[in-house]
Amino acid sequence: MIQFSGVSKYYDGDPVLNDISFTIEKGELAYITGPSGAGKTTLLKLIYCAERPDSGQIVVAGWDVGKLKQGTIPFLRRNVGIVFQDFRLLFNKTVFDNIALALRIHDMQPREIKETVNNVLKDIRLKHKEHVFPQHLSGGEQQRIVIARAMVSRPTVLLADEPTGNLDMDTSRNIMGLFREINARGTTVLIATHNNALFHGTGRRVLYLHNRHIEKEAVG
Amino acid sequence: MRTLIYGFQTALKSIWHEKWINLLTVLSVSIGLLILSSFVTVTLNVDSALKRWAKGFGMVVYLDGDLTAKAENDLKNLFRQDPDIIEVKYISKEQAVRELRRTLGENASILDELDENPLPSSFELRLKRDLLKPAVVKKKAEQIRQLKGVAEVQYGEKWLSSLNTLSTILKTSAVFLGCAILVAIVFITYNTIKIFFYRRKDEIETLKLLGATRTFIRLPFLMEGLFIGIAGGLISAAALFGIHSVISLKGVEILPSIRTLLVAPPVQAYIAIIIAGAAMSLAGSFIAVGRIRY
Ligand SMILES: Nc1ncnc2c1ncn2[C@@H]1O[C@H](COP(=O)(O)OP(=O)(O)OP(=O)(O)O)[C@@H](O)[C@H]1O
Ligand SMILES: [Mg+2]
Repeated sequence: MIQFSGVSKYYDGDPVLNDISFTIEKGELAYITGPSGAGKTTLLKLIYCAERPDSGQIVVAGWDVGKLKQGTIPFLRRNVGIVFQDFRLLFNKTVFDNIALALRIHDMQPREIKETVNNVLKDIRLKHKEHVFPQHLSGGEQQRIVIARAMVSRPTVLLADEPTGNLDMDTSRNIMGLFREINARGTTVLIATHNNALFHGTGRRVLYLHNRHIEKEAVG
Repeated sequence: MRTLIYGFQTALKSIWHEKWINLLTVLSVSIGLLILSSFVTVTLNVDSALKRWAKGFGMVVYLDGDLTAKAENDLKNLFRQDPDIIEVKYISKEQAVRELRRTLGENASILDELDENPLPSSFELRLKRDLLKPAVVKKKAEQIRQLKGVAEVQYGEKWLSSLNTLSTILKTSAVFLGCAILVAIVFITYNTIKIFFYRRKDEIETLKLLGATRTFIRLPFLMEGLFIGIAGGLISAAALFGIHSVISLKGVEILPSIRTLLVAPPVQAYIAIIIAGAAMSLAGSFIAVGRIRY
């Protein structure tokens, strides 16, 4: 589903990722970890084409991402749900509208949008906050909204960048449960985190990013 | 289609949210259009007045003094058959004297001193309207002057050419002013939409990352520009109608003859104002949104 072959990425001449190769299979839930600044976010950005590789090939859901034309990028992204490290919620829209936006972009019918968004709000147990604006939510609540927005359109691939950033253990477990559910429904999930506790004992594959390349691969 | 509806809703929201800056833009656009359309209307009026005067334009053909009645009649028939001439009026020596007497009034007695009528008989010709170009009239006059029995041809050469120049100057300046104002309208809308676009830069960035197409992102801005243009067009069309109505009402009171001169802007003109406003504003917002890169 996600395949990197000899991918390198430079920022202003400095290498951030060097000769990265790995494969995430369809239906897998995998982790990518490494210290802050190791290039986890950059690696995810390469997947949804917010950055282009300087060399190597990236294939996502059958798309050769490195060679994608400008006009095709939106169609790749509709297959990729993203939980951004910095959330990227729209503060001039309510919780409901923030999530609904992802479906409007998918050109879904208004009635269907309402139903789908209401269901996902129940899944994340925030139905009662649907008319609230994001700035009035706690960090954990905002995090769940971002996850809801990423999964509501049933993407083939879900990327989560530090989804438990500064949440307590209980909320984190809760959120990881959400990812397992999404994965169980068939979505391939890739989670980037520096928090070992998240994958410890899960039995899932973990890629260790260090010194600009994948240092080792292990089971968490 | 749903994108269209979504764009429409978003545009309406933005218009309401930013109502003051939008109102200001609409007013600027409508003032521009009003200046343009008033100028065009004035030009139209002046031009039609000029044409009306020119309609009565003719030339006077003085005949040789010793021409026989038959020869005069032949000439008359020749003029009558000429498709360029729409009216032929014969003025005999006697009529000419009578007219001169009337013009002189009290001083007419000086004519009594003369024992012979010094005035020649003449024809007054009126030319077809589309022939009223200085060069064409001049050629026609030359032709007639060559005819046997014709002594002299007179026409308002200077007057005709200055009339034409005036009309050309007016039309040319209308075109230039028109272009300048249309460009100004494009720029005004460009500015406003650009501001909105920058204010929502973060939101647009997020939309892109969520997989929104360019159309989805652009449409609300284009629609907003379109609304601004249409609103500006409607306001200036209404204002033009109002101004024209007031002028024709008040003007007729002061100067009754104005009624025959005033040309009302035709319905097409009002539609043109609205379309011009819409098209220019749409162009402005199109440039403002620019190329969207992912
Ligand atoms: N747009 C950019 N231009 C220049 N350098 C960048 C850019 N984005 C990231 N970097 C640099 O690339 C390196 C990797 O950044 P990245 O955000 O991928 O790290 P990360 O692993 O996600 O870190 P964290 O765990 O703190 O989120 C960092 O040293 C960062 O300063
Ligand atoms: Mg990061």
